[in-house]
Amino acid sequence: MTIVKPSDILIEKTTNLLQNGMNARAFGDFGVPEALGDARWTDELILSTWHMAETGKIPEKLNFKTGNSGGGFDRLKFQFLDESEWLEHSEKISTKLDLNRRGDEKNKISIDIPWYGGGMSYGSVSVNVMMSRARNARRWNSFISTGEGGYPTELREVEENVITQVATGYFGVEEDTIQAAPIIEFKYAQGAKPGLGGHLLAAKAGEEVAKLRGSVPFVSLFSPFPFHSTYSVEDHSKHLDWIETVNPKALLSVKVSTPHDVDMVAIGSFYAGAHIIHLDGGYGGTGAAPEIAKKNIAMPIELAIPKVHKFLVAEGVRDKVTLIASGGIRTADDMAKAIALGADGCVLGTTDLVGLGCTRCSNCEGGPSGRGCPWGLTTTDIELQEWVPQDWAVQRLDNLYGAMQWRMREILRKLGLDDVTQLRGRTDLLQYIPEEASE
Amino acid sequence: MLTSEKASGSVISEGRLSMESFETESARRGRQMADLYHRYGIDTEEIDDVQSLPIRFLVEVGKVGLAKYIFKEIIHYKGNAEVILSRPCTYGVFSGPVGGFSPRPHLCVGCLRCTIQHPEFVKVLPNPERLSLGDSYTTHGHIAAIDEEAKKGMVPVRGQGYRGRFGGPGFDGMLTDMSEIVRPSRDGIHGRELIGTSVDIGSKPMHLSFDEKGEIKGIQPKMFSIQVPFIFDLPPGNLGTEKLIRVIDLTSKGIDTLACVNSSDVERMAIDSANIIPVLSIDEAEKSSNYPNARLIQLDGWDSSAVDKARSVSDAMIGVRIKFEEGWQLRLDSAVNYGVEVIHLLADLHGRGEDGQFVTELFKEAHLRLIEQGRRDLVTLIGAGGIVGADHVPKSIISGLDAVALDLPVLFALQGRSDGSLVERAGVIGNLPNKMDEGWAEQRLTNLCGSWRDQLLEILGAMGIREVRRLRGEFGRSMIVEHLEDEAFEGIAGYVGGGN
Repeated sequence: MTIVKPSDILIEKTTNLLQNGMNARAFGDFGVPEALGDARWTDELILSTWHMAETGKIPEKLNFKTGNSGGGFDRLKFQFLDESEWLEHSEKISTKLDLNRRGDEKNKISIDIPWYGGGMSYGSVSVNVMMSRARNARRWNSFISTGEGGYPTELREVEENVITQVATGYFGVEEDTIQAAPIIEFKYAQGAKPGLGGHLLAAKAGEEVAKLRGSVPFVSLFSPFPFHSTYSVEDHSKHLDWIETVNPKALLSVKVSTPHDVDMVAIGSFYAGAHIIHLDGGYGGTGAAPEIAKKNIAMPIELAIPKVHKFLVAEGVRDKVTLIASGGIRTADDMAKAIALGADGCVLGTTDLVGLGCTRCSNCEGGPSGRGCPWGLTTTDIELQEWVPQDWAVQRLDNLYGAMQWRMREILRKLGLDDVTQLRGRTDLLQYIPEEASE
Repeated sequence: MLTSEKASGSVISEGRLSMESFETESARRGRQMADLYHRYGIDTEEIDDVQSLPIRFLVEVGKVGLAKYIFKEIIHYKGNAEVILSRPCTYGVFSGPVGGFSPRPHLCVGCLRCTIQHPEFVKVLPNPERLSLGDSYTTHGHIAAIDEEAKKGMVPVRGQGYRGRFGGPGFDGMLTDMSEIVRPSRDGIHGRELIGTSVDIGSKPMHLSFDEKGEIKGIQPKMFSIQVPFIFDLPPGNLGTEKLIRVIDLTSKGIDTLACVNSSDVERMAIDSANIIPVLSIDEAEKSSNYPNARLIQLDGWDSSAVDKARSVSDAMIGVRIKFEEGWQLRLDSAVNYGVEVIHLLADLHGRGEDGQFVTELFKEAHLRLIEQGRRDLVTLIGAGGIVGADHVPKSIISGLDAVALDLPVLFALQGRSDGSLVERAGVIGNLPNKMDEGWAEQRLTNLCGSWRDQLLEILGAMGIREVRRLRGEFGRSMIVEHLEDEAFEGIAGYVGGGN
């Protein structure tokens, strides 16, 4: 079957149907789809994310806070103050986050919300999706990461909000895109497939994707693991030095997964020169990963954050480095809990995609059709990607981020805090819920 | 003449080897030697279903609603075929001759685009028949994974993150480690072809002694190697048909592993071979002589006189099967003390011992017990019970086993169905496909083994471990969710630990 770009009228029809359908489900005009959701992203969590993405508001009738995984964030809640002690809900409640705490001569970067967008490579998603996320990041004075697939030229328009990722396959890494980036992210590992390197299956490695990665079309691309130039903390330090030479102003972020010695990795990265230590937990998202890796290798982010936070505190360097958490963080409540456990901020990936219609059907790697996501999100298929009009997607993400910021402020004010940075490491504000009572 | 030439048996055609011809000749010989080398691999090949699992989803389309919708579209789009004939499904569920009026739910992958796009008249429902497969331990998820692995022989790869519960009981409560930056080896996933999965079966002395000629004296190693750390156990319940045994026999030879078969079946079917482990009752130990080709014979319980009888008539190693029932520790000690080279530990099919402990704890106890006694290497520990997923293999080995034995996965790899309890071995009632072709079945089992071996390589590659033998008892390369929770959540109000 030849796949061609659809006509404008077909795009209009399909996008209207999809958008109206999502709204109809999110607003309760039709029942909850019976096959929607899983333990981590329940049907209500998906629908509430759609609701927020459409309205910019928290839904009244859907659980927008937790999933049903029986552990981690789903068993934690905040111990709010008595209502009489709550602060007013106000924009004065700060959600700003400084990313450079080393006090060096590099970029001084603050973001308006304590999260930014995680890496999704060109190839795993379309330029459309990358641009939508990047344009939204610009609205929120935040970032997205390129992921490991190169830097499509369209992104130049928003380069102040794009983190260039350098990962183990060096796919698409160019000197000029390192020089253009305010932050460079070294991806040592990814939570969904720790220790295994990236996967882009052949069906999705089309001509443009392959060209940007310096490869040939329709060949599966597996990034190696580990960095073949890094086998020690000293090598790691040289790695960061290399980037510093190419772009002396860029902040350096080190993305690692969560093995048992993640605390040692974090301190090693700090002394190697990292401004941001980005922990990616075992339940994180991916465009393609072996099922055995997703569930079994490395630890969930909820368990890694306090381990690293406490260790950095004990080493006396906690205030000199920004600790970012990702991998299984779904909601504003999850982010607030991650910060209370010891992170400074978070990275979102799957949440953005769910906001744009993702039902977590797990066919991102290509699926039986070989074309990737039928919603047009994790695909570069010339027909399917048209189902995600860029302006619509930017607005959806903007609305979603607005609702999440509102919820973050709601949590802070009920805790009597007027700045998100005051929440960091405040495990005394959390409560563990017995299993039978978990939401 | 080069020394290596003598060793390789090659001959120079005529005259002396000159410096001129040296490079060419040495390259030729190098190639010749390289060609002789055979790197172990399992030849997988995708194979069709003969008795497919119940489909994942049911697709219901309201035909009146669809007809009205099409009518409206014909009017609205003035007969524009491209628009009217467009379908919400990229998988072909609605691409049959009459489109949505006769959907093809077997093609549905649950993306739900159709039911979101057309909520008025399309429903996608999880198929209750599929959800009812297996039981509370061997879930429909395990069965579906085994089915896919046996069909394709590949590592299942999917998009999106993990979808299940946080941690969990049994094997789910154990996570495996990985090496981030500082690694014990330089081989990550691109070095996987160099990772060894062979294991030794038998006994190694705790140290070697040599005489003045440099020859080993005293206790000699007594072992052989198999290429994967899993063997086939006795088929549980009613599954031990001749046909299935033939398939297991062929598969174990093909991939160079072992298969446990009841001794009476070995004789009746005349399948005595190096890859078959005849399993005898202790009352029949003297019949061990009937299996001259076996490298390992197992007795179905511990009895020193039975071992003596077996040893007196057979040169094969004698193994003993020990159930995790009261007093198993003493039976293990006695058997190892008596020089039994292989112990085959058995939990129920939910991976529990008689006292309710899970196998990870039981395997660990057995392993540590022998370490404390200073004789772990004198014996090979094989374990079975509750191993129904690829991740259960490395987790069992981390818990202290040398190899695992597969029972129920065989049934589900061959697209059989269970009927009733999947707890006790003897109580398993399984139905294999009616007209099961042996070649088909062998390929399915081979595919399963290939897939599980490749997934083992993923785990080992992530850790930077180059051979599975080094994973044995490496508790430090695992993480227990409960312990991690204690460390992470200690001090948080309401947290009492122990997963409560």
